[in-house]
Amino acid sequence: MSDKNLRSYVTGFALSLVFTLIPYYLVANHRVAGTKLLFTILSFAFVQLIVQLAFFLHLGRGPAPKWNLYFFAGTVGVIMIVVGGSIIIINNLHRNLSPADQTRRLVDSEGIYQVGGELTGACQGRHTNYQVIIKGTKTEPLLTVAAKCDTLTFIDNSASNLEIVFGTSKNPKVYAGLNSIAVIKGHSKTISLSQLGTYQFHDNTNPKIVGSFAVADTY
Amino acid sequence: MVEVEQLSHLEKHEAAGNDRVMFGFWVYLMTDLLMFSVLFAVYAVLHGNTNDGEAGRSLFKLPLALRETLLLLTSSFTCGLGMLAARRGNKSYTLMWFGITFVLGAMFLGLELTEFSSFFSEGHTLKSSAFLSSFFVLVGTHGLHITSGLLWMGVTMGYIMKRGLNKHMVRKLALLSLFWHFLDIVWIFIFTIVYLGAYA
Repeated sequence: MSDKNLRSYVTGFALSLVFTLIPYYLVANHRVAGTKLLFTILSFAFVQLIVQLAFFLHLGRGPAPKWNLYFFAGTVGVIMIVVGGSIIIINNLHRNLSPADQTRRLVDSEGIYQVGGELTGACQGRHTNYQVIIKGTKTEPLLTVAAKCDTLTFIDNSASNLEIVFGTSKNPKVYAGLNSIAVIKGHSKTISLSQLGTYQFHDNTNPKIVGSFAVADTY
Repeated sequence: MVEVEQLSHLEKHEAAGNDRVMFGFWVYLMTDLLMFSVLFAVYAVLHGNTNDGEAGRSLFKLPLALRETLLLLTSSFTCGLGMLAARRGNKSYTLMWFGITFVLGAMFLGLELTEFSSFFSEGHTLKSSAFLSSFFVLVGTHGLHITSGLLWMGVTMGYIMKRGLNKHMVRKLALLSLFWHFLDIVWIFIFTIVYLGAYA
């Protein structure tokens, strides 16, 4: 009896260690990224949840009826409704109510320089367009020097979709209200250079794809 | 013969009482789990709203989070070993394993407080952004649970040292170890969603 219990704890501990270290290794070494990463690490967490419920809490073992197991299942149901529902509803609101940073992004990308008679500070009129072509893991040109309100077009000629993140992977930055921009393979995306300064950028999935741009105030 | 039957009846009665207490405590744990799940939902919704401050990716140190995870996981394991010793009625082993659990839990809490104080000293506080508010509330609530678990463990160990390991104490330890395993499970999700998830 005691031997069986001891073996149960040791097994649970060993499995938990494995299911902790694998996702940590995957994340720390940038083996996977984005949604795939989130899905992978969450799967490991759920497997570990089951391991600990079975080997540490001995859920479901013991005399019938297994009320605590039923109660747990009911709680899981409520949690799924509360958590899933909240995330769906709030994401929907977030998308449709356009909070300040999204309004800012819209104002910048559409060049709306006046809202309700007030100047927004967005760029107006036509300006020079610069292009950054990403082919393979090469960025051409590596550095773009532009003036404020010019536009910058990212062209994805690589083999996969890109998620351009500003700053370095260790120190990501927000540029003009943008955390990242998604570029579909074979297509392009243009941003308005409304914020001054020098910025590096890289691809979220492939950190080898790097480049930078400098925006100067030359009026 | 009659006496033996009565005794076994009494024991059965007592076992049923124990089951009821365990189930009652389990119900409490489930409501606690609901509370944590709501805090997780809040974090999932707000983690992107950094108010132009640093995101989790540049703020969180993964090796520290791993160390915290390993400490808590090991403490959950030693807590289980302590429970086995308690069921066998071995007082000194019970005290030893729960003592180790206590030390590991205290080390976990120490690491968490170090992390929080380094965030505060860098100016990342509850007020900085919705992301940090939800982070501190979620992780802090877990930390408070750990703190109360440690207090409970300390008091129970004191009782056992003074009054010996009787069956009431074994029941108390069973509830405590349930609580402790539960906190480890909640932490797995904090480690995964908050710390590892920041890199997704």
